[in-house]
Amino acid sequence: MAAATVAAEELRQMGLQPTPRVEKADDVLGGDDDEILRFMDSADSYLLLMDSLSSALRQGWLDLASARHSMGASRVSSTLFDHKEQCAATKLQVVYPADLRPSESNPHFALSKWCLQESNSGDVIGMQDSTKPKLRYRGLAAAPGDGINESDATTAKSSTGVDTSSQVQMARSKALSVFGALVSPKLRTTQVSFETALELIVELANSRSTMLSSFSQIKP
Amino acid sequence: MAGRANIPANSSALIAIIADEDTVTGFLMAGVGNVDLRKKTNYLLVDNKTTVKQIEDAFKEFTAREDIAIVLISQYIANMIRFLVDSYNKPIPAILEIPSKDHPYDPANDSVLSRVKYLFSADSVASDRR
Repeated sequence: MAAATVAAEELRQMGLQPTPRVEKADDVLGGDDDEILRFMDSADSYLLLMDSLSSALRQGWLDLASARHSMGASRVSSTLFDHKEQCAATKLQVVYPADLRPSESNPHFALSKWCLQESNSGDVIGMQDSTKPKLRYRGLAAAPGDGINESDATTAKSSTGVDTSSQVQMARSKALSVFGALVSPKLRTTQVSFETALELIVELANSRSTMLSSFSQIKP
Repeated sequence: MAGRANIPANSSALIAIIADEDTVTGFLMAGVGNVDLRKKTNYLLVDNKTTVKQIEDAFKEFTAREDIAIVLISQYIANMIRFLVDSYNKPIPAILEIPSKDHPYDPANDSVLSRVKYLFSADSVASDRR
């Protein structure tokens, strides 16, 4: 190392810059190693998530079979599916990284469960605020009115979470309503199992995306 | 597929399903079912009367739709149209092969893993995970 430093110093004194070949090779290998590690991690994550998905689906199928046993096969059947126009309540958000070209896109998926009902609940709360009667004070400054408005906003914010969760529960019940007004508790646990499966599926999609993106970087 | 436009960033997209009755029923209970104005659904229920042509048509339709970001397909159904699934290589929609009740997941048949399998030995993926 000392000899290399002396040699580099001599070259610099002669007006020649030593070519940092070793540093460049290390950078290239480091970059490849990063991608290889990223690829291996995503492949491992993919397989682990697939195991978890298999477990979640098995639980869901078991619960569905129990619900069918208790409610009757005719009450839990695909013939009951509603074919009227309807929007999906559970959707995906797709985000593309800004620094990649479209051909190298590595999209990221995020799940929005019961999003239709959540967005509607926001609208409903907004309407309620606007229709609330406002108190009018004669001959006084605006401060008391402001205080009341602020407390209204605080109340609205604290009630937003409660209203949203109640809207989600309503959405869940609506999804099960095709099977009748009274459903077996096993049907509700089936719903929870498949919601869990959906979360795992989104993580799987992200792992897949990362794996294929890393693979495209390291393949010859 | 080549002319398919990307889903706009941060917009909502659907999950499509090609699977057996119980799997489709379960995911519909989770709220992924969508029926548009033309009565087109984002799912295909496969039973013993469903032909391979119907499965192929559904796969091609779901992968061409601009509002679908993930296509879930049971692996045993994907095996029926393996050539079509393996030849698909776009990032969106993502094709995910899932297990079914009667056919457990086999990593050796997964189209994504088969694309990258030459980086591993043929045995390590199939055997180490069992």
